[in-house]
This record gives sequence, C-alpha cells and structure tokens, in this order.
Amino acid sequence: MATVALSEPGKVKGGRWSPWLFALPAVVVYVGFLVYPAISSLFFSLTNWDGLSATYDFVGLDNYAKLPSDPVVVTAVRNNLIWTVVTIAVPTVVGLVLAIALNGKVHGKPVLRLIFYTPAVLPLVSIASIWGWLYNPQYGAINSFLELIGLGGLAQPWLGQDSTALWAVMVPAIWLRTGFPMLLYLAALQGIPNELYEAATVDGASRWQQFWHVTMPSLRPAHYIVLALSLIDSFKVFDMIYAMTYGGPGTSTQVMGTWMYFNVFQYYEAGYGTAIAVVITLVAVAVGIPYVRSQTKEAS
Amino acid sequence: MTYTRRGFLGLTSAAALGAGLSACTGAGTTSSSGGGATAEASNNLRLFTYEDDATIGLLKAQVKKFDEQNGTTTTVDSLPGSGAAVYPDKLRTELLGGKGPDVWRIWGGQIGSPFAKAKQALDLAPYYAKFGWDSKLNTAAISGMTFDGVKTGVPFIALGIGAWYNKSLFAKAGVSAPPTTYAELEAVNDKLVAVGVTPLATGGKYGWHVMRLFEYLLEHTAGPELHDKLLTGAESWDRPEVVEAFALFKKWQDKKWLPQGALGLDPADIEPGYVQGKTAYTITGPWTEAQAILSAKKPSTAFGTFELPTDQKPARHSGFVEGYMINAKSGNADKSAALIDFILQPAAQKAMQITASTVKGAEPDPKALPLAAEWSQKYAGNPFYTIQDQAFPKKEADQYFSVQSDLLQGSVTPDAAAKKMQEIVSAWAKG
Repeated sequence: MATVALSEPGKVKGGRWSPWLFALPAVVVYVGFLVYPAISSLFFSLTNWDGLSATYDFVGLDNYAKLPSDPVVVTAVRNNLIWTVVTIAVPTVVGLVLAIALNGKVHGKPVLRLIFYTPAVLPLVSIASIWGWLYNPQYGAINSFLELIGLGGLAQPWLGQDSTALWAVMVPAIWLRTGFPMLLYLAALQGIPNELYEAATVDGASRWQQFWHVTMPSLRPAHYIVLALSLIDSFKVFDMIYAMTYGGPGTSTQVMGTWMYFNVFQYYEAGYGTAIAVVITLVAVAVGIPYVRSQTKEAS
Repeated sequence: MTYTRRGFLGLTSAAALGAGLSACTGAGTTSSSGGGATAEASNNLRLFTYEDDATIGLLKAQVKKFDEQNGTTTTVDSLPGSGAAVYPDKLRTELLGGKGPDVWRIWGGQIGSPFAKAKQALDLAPYYAKFGWDSKLNTAAISGMTFDGVKTGVPFIALGIGAWYNKSLFAKAGVSAPPTTYAELEAVNDKLVAVGVTPLATGGKYGWHVMRLFEYLLEHTAGPELHDKLLTGAESWDRPEVVEAFALFKKWQDKKWLPQGALGLDPADIEPGYVQGKTAYTITGPWTEAQAILSAKKPSTAFGTFELPTDQKPARHSGFVEGYMINAKSGNADKSAALIDFILQPAAQKAMQITASTVKGAEPDPKALPLAAEWSQKYAGNPFYTIQDQAFPKKEADQYFSVQSDLLQGSVTPDAAAKKMQEIVSAWAKG
C-alpha cells in the first residue's frame, strides 16, 4: 500500500522564507512608493531646495526652527484644530441621529439614504463650485433666501471676510461627510440583536436608557471606524479650502496642507514646505497611535 | 556645501539597490530630473500653454502649418483659465518629472524668473541673433523676459490694462464720456451707484484682480518715478503717498464702488459682469474683447475703453509681457526656436488674433477686434508700469494681497498697511 508523505505539523512547505516571498511584491510597492518618498521628503526638509533647481544646500533643522515664527503656520494650526474638531463632531453626531431615524419606521428609507449619502460621492471641486455660487454675496441663493424671509441683515460676504470664511467652507464639508458615518451606523444598528432591546424593555428601561446602555455600547466598533476615518479625512483637508477660498481672504483660511502646497509649489521653497509636510505626518501618526493600539488590543 | 538633487537621488537609489530593491527605485531615479541630461533629438515637439477655448484652435492651426513645413509633429497642451496662480505649478511639476515641454508660454517678470534662475529655461541669445528677434520685437517687452541679463524668453505679447466699460450703463448714469481725471472717475462712480449700478467689477479671490485697482491708485498718488522705486524696494513704502493710496482703496469699498464681498469673489465670475450688464466696468486687457464680449455674442460697439486717469505725467497704465521659453533639457532646441520664430511672424500673430503683439506689423485688425485696435492705437504707445504680481515674487505678492485684504476688512489702517508693505518689500529686497 502506497503511503503519502505528509508534512510535519508546524512546518511550512518551502521553508521559513515562504511568507516573505509572498509578501515581497507588497513590500516592494510599499517601500518604493511610500517609504522611499517619505525618506526623500525627510531629507529635503533639511535642505534649502527651491523645488526647481538642480542643486541645494543642506541647512540642518533651520526649516523646522522657522516654523514657530511663521505667522501663517500659527493661523494654519489653529484652523486645522478648528476644522478637525468641527468636521469630526458634527458629521458624526448628525450621521448617528440620521442613522437612528432611518433605522426606525420611516417611509421612503432607500430614497432618504440616497439623498443623505449622495454628497459623499460628488467630486469635491464640483461641491466647491456649487457652494461658491450659493455663497455669492450678490447673486447667491443663501443671501437671497435670507432677504426673502426678512433676515437680510444676516446676509454676509461669507467667503470674503476672515470672520466667516473658514466656517463657510466647513458647512459643505459637513454636508458631504455626514452620509458616510450615517451608512456605517445604520449597518451597525441593524446588527444589534432585538433581544437586547426586549430585555431592556422588560427591565423597565426608558428609550433614552436603552440608547445609552444598549445602542451606544453596541456601536463601539463603528465609533472606532468612524472616528479614525474622520480624523484621517480632517488631517488631509486641502481641496475644499483650495477650491473655495484659496487660503484667503489674505491667509485667514490657510491650513497646514494648503500652506505646505503654497510653499512647495508656489513660493519655490520646497525645503520649508517639505518640513511642514513632515510635521503634518508626525502629528497624524501621533494622533493615530491610540486608534491602532485599541484595534490591536481588540484583535488580540 | 551644495548638493545636486540628482546626486541625492542617485545615492539613495544605490542604497536601495543594495537592499535588493532595484526594480522599483531604480526606475524612479532615472525618471527624475533636476540636473538631468538633455533629451534625445526628435521630430516630436510639445508646446505647453494656457490658451482658452476661444484661442487654442487658432494657435493649433499655426502650429500645424509649422509642422507641415518642417516635418515635425507638435503636441499642444493647454491649461486654460488657471491664470498665473496655477499654471506655473503644473509647468514646474512637468519639468521636475523629466517630461517637460520643449516650449512653454509664460508671463514675464517674477513669474517667469524662477524658471530662468533654476536654469530650466534655455539662454536664447544665439536664437535672438539667428532670427533677428532684437530688431523684430518690442525692446521694452524683451527686457520683461530677460532675467539677470540673460534673454531666457521671447516676448510675443505686451499687454496694457485699462478700463473696459458698458456704454449703456454709463448712459443710464448720465455719463456721456469716459473720465479724464481721477476726480471725474470718482464722480462717475457716484453717479453709477446712485442709479443702482456697481461701478467696478473686481474679485479678490487669488488677490491679483483687486490688485489692479490698488496699483492704479498708487500710480495716481505716487507718480511714475516713485511708483517704480517702490516696486523695486528702492524707496520706503512707509510714506504719505502709499498711505493715501491705501486710504483711497478703502474708500472704493466703503462707497460701494466695488461689488459686495469683493474679496471672496472669483475674478473669472465677476470680471465679465460689465459685459452681462451687472457692473459698469472692469480693469482688464484687450483679450477681453475676444474672450468676454465676442464670445457672449455682444457687439463691440456696446462697449468702450479708457485709460484709467492718473493725473500724472507721463500717463501710464499697468502692463505685462508674456512670451515663450525653451526647455534647457530639450533635445529639440533648434526646432523649438524655429517654431517660436514661426509663431512670431506678423501673419501668424494676426491669424491668432493676438491683440497686443510685440511684433511689428501685427497690430490687431480693426474689423475683427475694433476695441482692441482702438486701445492699441490710443494707449499702447504710452509707457506702462510693471503689474504688481509680476513685480514681486509670488510669496511677497501673496503677502501684499493679504495686506489689501486686511485693509478692506478694516483690521488694519492705511498707515499700518503702508508700514506692513515696507516690512514685506524690504525683507524681499534685502534677501
């Protein structure tokens, strides 16, 4: 009788290098397109390269030392913080409220879901154009509507003054970012067993108590995903600002992303601009660490 | 110690190769430019420009003629509508990517300067001699494309900007003739506002459009000699003439001579307002006849032009040059220069409806573009001061736009604005 040779348990055919061989294509892509450019950027942040010439000088940490005394960096950091807090908090809360509403007995659920999610799939430049027209101080719908309902005194040059420009850009950002958490929460809500609510009802829990003690704990994994992705989205802010205000009026709506772009691509100060990019990356990594750790803990 | 970008890339690539990653990073290195080698010669040229839909076809037709005569194949790429705010970024990225165009169109002054200083653009002195451009082209325009004494660009447009107005709205306000003094211009503005018409169509998004008003006011208050010295940092901005110009600038907004919320408006949206009958006039150049008036199918006779009155001698208006540069790494420099020379022929300039050509004998056709021809005849001979976003490097220009913005919003006084401008300009002039 023929016998079939079986591999010893625990031994992988091909030796210990097999996993690495399988991982190699991904590692090559990762190193080539992420690690190598990142190291290059780090290096150029230590130079005075203008972004166009063939030569540059090594200037050590000069570019980093200049950052705190750059008044636009101060404005940009403040704007980034405001942007991050507002564009995470508001879409998340509104998305959750909409998800809960749509999870109940509502007529036309699919249509409403589509309406709330549609802004998320529109091109950002289109959104910026649409809202730019809505905000037009003379012919825009927003000021016209305010005047129509007798609140003409509230009409403003929304994008044309420091006091309102950043907030005006955040409104479409919130509008387009609400659909995504809504969908995630909706999916998570539908996964909560009904028995939990039945048991809570039997125990005499009010709807509010059910929300805090059944719904919210059950949504914890969704919270993590929503917050992590929102955080990443917020740090990446660039396009809405660039398209709607170009960082202005003056420099009042500059964020770190746009200020990095202006320095690298417009002011021919690639070394300094790259230093800003490095700082943005370090902050994003630092902020992302708690999320990664929590995910790792949960997985283990 | 000075390094070359290519050297760094080569070094890091070698390290990467050593780590067994040659397949990936090696390719990345060879595609990078910076101090890169000259490309191989071929019959394939690429021209990069910012022509819009109204004129790109005219340029392509001339390029096609050149190709037919010279056995070349020229690709024309355009980035229309972006203005000087975006186009140079795209060009720079292409050059760094190692696949830059052979020929590109660019503005003069501080916008074209970085490409010359970085030696991305070829020294065209041999071609100036070969094609006799010095005698064919406007001398002042050539100086606008000469950087640190090196002729790195060939100007083909020398544009002056002035007021382009809607005749029916002027008539509605009881204005029978364009103003000839600054006081008359203010009176016209008041009359327009009185009949519910916003006088000046201008938008501050990107900064440069509103700048056209301030630079005019500065020419009015400072006069030609001082204005020129201010632009080079040879005189302090912290002086009464500049304060007065900033005070007038604020006055224009406070008296509603500018559109409401002008600072947030996109020039592309607001400037054609004078054609649409929403505003009385704008400050622009002869290109507006083809781009705004004729493309809207409006008759040129419904509009007029005038040089903004400065009350100074000589009377000047804002102006700038545009021209072509050749890629220093192009393997087709001779053919590229021949292409430029072809485009510079009077017949080609006329065929492309260039309204402010630097080429002698290529004046605009009064039948096709009557207003542009009128502007050319009346004012093109007047001297011009360098438009301020070409006088300053982009960073300083943006800082200056920021001062304008703060002033119009009332967060700084005219006096403080003048002091701030002095800080900006003196830091640049010293640097």
